Amino acid sequence: MRRPEPLEIFQPTSIREAGALVKEKGPGGRFLAGGTDLVIAVKEKSFSPKYVVDLKRIPGLSGIREEADGGLKIGSLTTLREVEISPIILKRFPFLAQSAAEVGSVQIRNRATIGGNMANATPSADVAPALLALEARARIAGLNGERVVELEQFFRGPGQTVMAPEEILTEIIIPPANPSLVGEYIKFSPREMMDLAYIGVAVAFVFNASQKLCEKVRIALGAVSPTPMRARGAESLLEGQVLTEELAEKAGAEAARECKPISDVRSSADYRRDMVRVNTKRALLNAAAQRPGKWTERRDRRY
Amino acid sequence: MKDCANYSVIGKRLPLIDAVTKVTGEAKFTGDLFVPGMLIGAILRSPYPHARILNIDASRALKHAGVRAVVTGKDTAGVKYGALEHLRDEAALATDKVRYIGDEVAAVAAVDEETAREALDLIDVEYEPLPAVFTTEEAMRPGAPRIHDHVENNVSLSLHIPLGDVEAGFARSDFIFEDSFETQCVAHCPLEPHISLAACDGGQIVLWSSTQGPFYLRRDLSLTLKLPSSKIRVIKPFVGGGFGGKREMTAGDFCAALLAVKTSRPVKIAYDREEEFSATRRRVPMKIYLKAGVMKDGTLVAKRCRVIADGGAYNGRGPMIVASGASQMTLVYRFPHFLFEGHHVYTNNPVTSSMRGFGNNQIRFADDSMMERMAKELGIDPVELRLKNVRRPGETSLMGAKVTTCGLPECIEKVAERGGLHKKRAQNGSGGNGRQALLRGFGVASAAYISGCKLFFEHDSSAAIVKLEEDGSVCLLTGASDIGQGSNTVLAQLVAEELGIAFEDMRVVSADTDTTPMDLGAYGSRTTFVAGNAVLAAARDAKKQVLEVAAERLEADSADLEIRERWICVKGSPQRGMTFQAAVSAALNSPDGKSIMGRGYYNPPTDYDPRTRRGNVSAAYSFAAQSAEVEVNPETGEVRVINLVAAQDCGFAINPMATEGQIEGSVSMGLGQALYEDLVMEEGQTVNASFSAYKIPSVRDMPPVESHLIQTIDPEGPHGAKGIGEMTLVPTSPAIANAIYDAIGVQIKSLPITPEKILAALKEKRACS
Repeated sequence: MRRPEPLEIFQPTSIREAGALVKEKGPGGRFLAGGTDLVIAVKEKSFSPKYVVDLKRIPGLSGIREEADGGLKIGSLTTLREVEISPIILKRFPFLAQSAAEVGSVQIRNRATIGGNMANATPSADVAPALLALEARARIAGLNGERVVELEQFFRGPGQTVMAPEEILTEIIIPPANPSLVGEYIKFSPREMMDLAYIGVAVAFVFNASQKLCEKVRIALGAVSPTPMRARGAESLLEGQVLTEELAEKAGAEAARECKPISDVRSSADYRRDMVRVNTKRALLNAAAQRPGKWTERRDRRY
Repeated sequence: MKDCANYSVIGKRLPLIDAVTKVTGEAKFTGDLFVPGMLIGAILRSPYPHARILNIDASRALKHAGVRAVVTGKDTAGVKYGALEHLRDEAALATDKVRYIGDEVAAVAAVDEETAREALDLIDVEYEPLPAVFTTEEAMRPGAPRIHDHVENNVSLSLHIPLGDVEAGFARSDFIFEDSFETQCVAHCPLEPHISLAACDGGQIVLWSSTQGPFYLRRDLSLTLKLPSSKIRVIKPFVGGGFGGKREMTAGDFCAALLAVKTSRPVKIAYDREEEFSATRRRVPMKIYLKAGVMKDGTLVAKRCRVIADGGAYNGRGPMIVASGASQMTLVYRFPHFLFEGHHVYTNNPVTSSMRGFGNNQIRFADDSMMERMAKELGIDPVELRLKNVRRPGETSLMGAKVTTCGLPECIEKVAERGGLHKKRAQNGSGGNGRQALLRGFGVASAAYISGCKLFFEHDSSAAIVKLEEDGSVCLLTGASDIGQGSNTVLAQLVAEELGIAFEDMRVVSADTDTTPMDLGAYGSRTTFVAGNAVLAAARDAKKQVLEVAAERLEADSADLEIRERWICVKGSPQRGMTFQAAVSAALNSPDGKSIMGRGYYNPPTDYDPRTRRGNVSAAYSFAAQSAEVEVNPETGEVRVINLVAAQDCGFAINPMATEGQIEGSVSMGLGQALYEDLVMEEGQTVNASFSAYKIPSVRDMPPVESHLIQTIDPEGPHGAKGIGEMTLVPTSPAIANAIYDAIGVQIKSLPITPEKILAALKEKRACS
């Protein structure tokens, strides 16, 4: 490897201190959480940050808490492995756990954090569609206090978020959900593991299983636009409707129309669009057929 | 089948002799080696696909702190190297021109890797970019830029091999099938990249290299460094996989040696993964035009095969790979008329060369795909069609291969029987919950392969020494290269069996040009067969000597003695004996001081004529068949291989576990080459030069593999064994491709068979019907 440019590393112990460091040092710095994106960028892509602010000494940034109102709070330094195996998440939102389980290998997930995954703002990040479908919000701490933004507003483009350089993502907030909420995340990639998503689809809706009625339908897509996106047209087709195969197919077609994929070495734009159609349908029907607390094997989710 | 019950070491499922060393991490690969004072080298590569080098100025690099030396083409003799003299076209460092992105221009030695890589940026190379060609069509067009001055139309080798009368054959055929097929460029992906470490020692250059053949490498170094081979010693430490990609000398080997001489310091050069993917050898992609004439009943009459191979910027082993396609075409199935036309074409792509299968994979994909279509269209069962035309023992192929043992009919029957079991199961029905039913298909493919060959030298020899030690242990010295395939284990088993001792008594020292006898290296599936016969000869020599000593002590005729479980005795009178150790020790501790060493070598009896490219190229041929069952998702085009059955005529499995290991590894490789792997190129640049972008199968993509070893006991092989290292891979991709064809009803004629291609084919099929 090439020699990394010399850089300063800081290990602040409070959010305030971390933000102040960035303010003082100016542009060109990066926050470090799990390092699974940053270290690779430095080693393999000749990325050279001027300085690095390690967030891991700041107390209170990790862990999953169930709130009194039924909502969940996930600290930004919580690892993806913790999200994957958390009993609360597995019980309440198994498809969120599944989305975390789709990232890299166990070794990677033991390091990678949910906050880092969001702040890095990769269009293909697996956890993002699941969180968007749950209407998650991001708590951001800055020098002048905190703000909370809808996660959908958080992403601005590949690698870009609404955060100012000195701001830190501290928490992902999942609002209280109806106990009848069902959901599914499908990562579509021909290789079974250690792959990047060609496309990702997450769906979540309140489902009256006896009448097959869908309400509060949320559909989110990954890897088909500059940021993870909601497919609102598809959602409105389903809202208040009885879920049938035909309707799921229509919603899939609508989601395919809404997305804006590109062609790259993994896949052509047309194929991505087609896979959004098929997998949105698949995810809707899978979610509706789900038994609570059941984990669907990856292959069976798609096939 | 031979009665194997009498064997005590061979035919047994023994773990590899170095398994514990490797698992504990004790094994030292070239990258683990450090020599005091060692410098680190790095190679400057061309950013242009085709350019003239006008000037190289290394002065800025040499002034950079920590840099010890820079070498360029000017510091070399500019000698062209390669396998066959008339095809040599490549110098270790470019002298006049660069011909692909990644072509080696200069090398640096510095105190550490970072400094070396920094110094590369400080070497100023003045290039005059030249027009470049990236496809064989462009390259062969009249007036195309000439990549090598001495080669017109960029065709470095054209073969025209007419056998029988192909046109008459077509004329009398009931049906003619014609199609074209295309295979992609894939990477070897060894876990260990290419690494070389050179040091000067007592007037010699010692090179540790991740090579598949130290003796071959020494020859190329001797040629290019213009040094007698005695001035070079090449040692192969543990090697982390080669798959054909470590057969040839690399610029790393050459530059490490040259820089070590220049600096008088040891120099290590390790390729990184990106270099590994973008600048080392890769598989030869081929366009194959195939025409076949067949009778109503499925009897093959004639075949015409035209191959256009993208050789990349230099020959490497490419021309021989094209030629080996002709042998493959005529070896598996029988037919009387054949015309082979092959062209090896230069382009400004990276060099394509040896890779596990050596051209046979490409040909088999085309040929077995066409067999499948023939069967479907003639309404003959594909297995029956193959069995009707299959090679039988005792035959000579059109190209002159004298087939002695051949278990191909049995192999085909076995994989059809075992693999067909699943197809008979109930289909998945509608799929349920809005799913379209998965499409299920079953496919078969065959293959044949050499066990060593005489394509590159007048000989195909291997030699061995077996030293009997005073404590009763035995040390085998062999030139053969264990690159992870387990040859040290298999060779040690052969010696232990011959000497009647335990496997644990064996040690193997291998692949060092100064301390071990000669062997040409791990290629051509030759090691078990050729080196196996050599070590057997050496072991027999040692046995004769130790029995003579024992005969004297036991007052018996040595011809009446045998060794079993470390005990030498008169046959039939086990009590009249002595231990093996006692006999060896007695010889040494006698007035004679006799140290027992057995010597042996083996050169396969073959008669190949390089002019006509006909004749018996190998002393034995292995055969294999595989069947695959797949499920295709008609909505996404995804393929899941749900079952794979492999049957391998290996002659005799000296270590069945190692043989099965070869098969299972092959299935993973063949699966990748059938479905995922493809080096994507843009204007000569490899786009996906990393493991995150270049997809090899993961453990979860692997189907269950069922292996069957068909033991035909070859009369020439060591205890009947034949080579298997490459051919286990050859039928995998075509079997999967045929299964997909069976499932979706459309044949996809280019590899890899991606979900996108499948969906497009299904759409077209719907549009047509």
